[in-house]
Amino acid sequence: MQRRATIFAVLILNIVLQSTIVHSIQIRGIIPNTAIIVIVSMSLLRGSTEGAATGLIAGLLQDIFFGVSFGYYALFGMLLGFGVGKINKGFYRENYIMPVFVCSISTLAYESCIFLTGILFSGNTNYLYFLINLIIPEMVYNSILTILIYRVLFSINSVLEEKEKYKRKLFSIK
Amino acid sequence: MRFFNDYKKQILILLAVVFAISALITAGKKTKSSIFDNALGFIVTPLQSITTTVSGWFGDRISSFKDENDVYDENEELKAKVQLLETENKRLALYEDENAKLAKLLEISQKYPEYDTTATNIIGKDPGNWYNVFVINKGTKDGITADMVLTSAGGVVGKITEAGLTYSKAQSILDNRSSVAAMSLRTGDLGVVRGDYYLMNDGLCRMEYIDVESEIMKGDEIVTSHLSDIYPPGLTLGYVKEIVTDTNGLTKYAIIEPQVDFKHLATLLIITKSFDKATTGGE
Repeated sequence: MQRRATIFAVLILNIVLQSTIVHSIQIRGIIPNTAIIVIVSMSLLRGSTEGAATGLIAGLLQDIFFGVSFGYYALFGMLLGFGVGKINKGFYRENYIMPVFVCSISTLAYESCIFLTGILFSGNTNYLYFLINLIIPEMVYNSILTILIYRVLFSINSVLEEKEKYKRKLFSIK
Repeated sequence: MRFFNDYKKQILILLAVVFAISALITAGKKTKSSIFDNALGFIVTPLQSITTTVSGWFGDRISSFKDENDVYDENEELKAKVQLLETENKRLALYEDENAKLAKLLEISQKYPEYDTTATNIIGKDPGNWYNVFVINKGTKDGITADMVLTSAGGVVGKITEAGLTYSKAQSILDNRSSVAAMSLRTGDLGVVRGDYYLMNDGLCRMEYIDVESEIMKGDEIVTSHLSDIYPPGLTLGYVKEIVTDTNGLTKYAIIEPQVDFKHLATLLIITKSFDKATTGGE
């Protein structure tokens, strides 16, 4: 329960900051997508189920306040969280290279999906333009911020796991 | 919980399909927020307000360091301008009276009626890079509904796409999905002002479907035309910056510099009376 409340609070804080303060650190009109960073970090730390749930809620919040349809960002957020969560078991969480790398690849995939489903059919077929002017700058920006945000979420997760350790039943009857 | 773990993949696929279908069905049709949205709005919008106010305060402090010297000059300049506008306003008021009398004589209805407006603030901007959407701090509680028009500094900013209880979503004219029926004030040529991805970050948009023989030129004022269902006629959109002939040689498009500075928007005016064709189309 405590974990769910914490993640929800983090996501609310994320949408608030991403729609306000993050705009003041934009470079040439490009702002970092901190929602992707939070989703990727949570998936890497906790696996695909929680990753998918985090992505779903983060996407729903964006849908509700900034989207034109219900479920669009939620779908991509959920799939991203699920996909990234699959490699949760395969690396050391204390390592910083992996989150940065995964986050930049995720940004590429996520934004390309948005392009394919939302932009391409409105007649903008020049993918290369968007890749160079929008997606790659955002990838770089996200990768840099990942170091900071992953560190914060890692600490939050450690505190939560420490608390949960005492609640876990060793001989639970299923 | 056991059930959830066993059928994890199935649940994921089911949710994905549900979201995909609901995204397709609700696309662009959602004009009123649900109770669920409003409940979240109660949590998120006050936080956005606070953050915007705080960051705006710091932004003001920083910029006031920079141009403290300019303020004095600007003040003098504005005082002179106010005097000029006051005299002009008086003169125009006389014209308005005269116009009303003549219109009454000719029995035509007013073409450019007065609008009721209410002020609002932007509290959040689109967290992505693709679109140009923002959230304002007034909703159905204050009588705001979808399709009301937002203006600032005498120019059109955009329209409201969805109204919640305490907040509303709005779409600016720079957004790729926005299109406004427009007209050149000087020549009367019609066209459509659309948002464009390639121009959005420079704060520009484009006017399409202009007749190739029209005499529209650089510097012309572009206003909303009487063809629009949503935008009242005669509101300034911007000025022509550049004119390009399309590759087909039949139409032209113009690059428009909006009247409003989209980078520094804070306070907006909402035209609250939803524009009704019947009140204006008197001729």
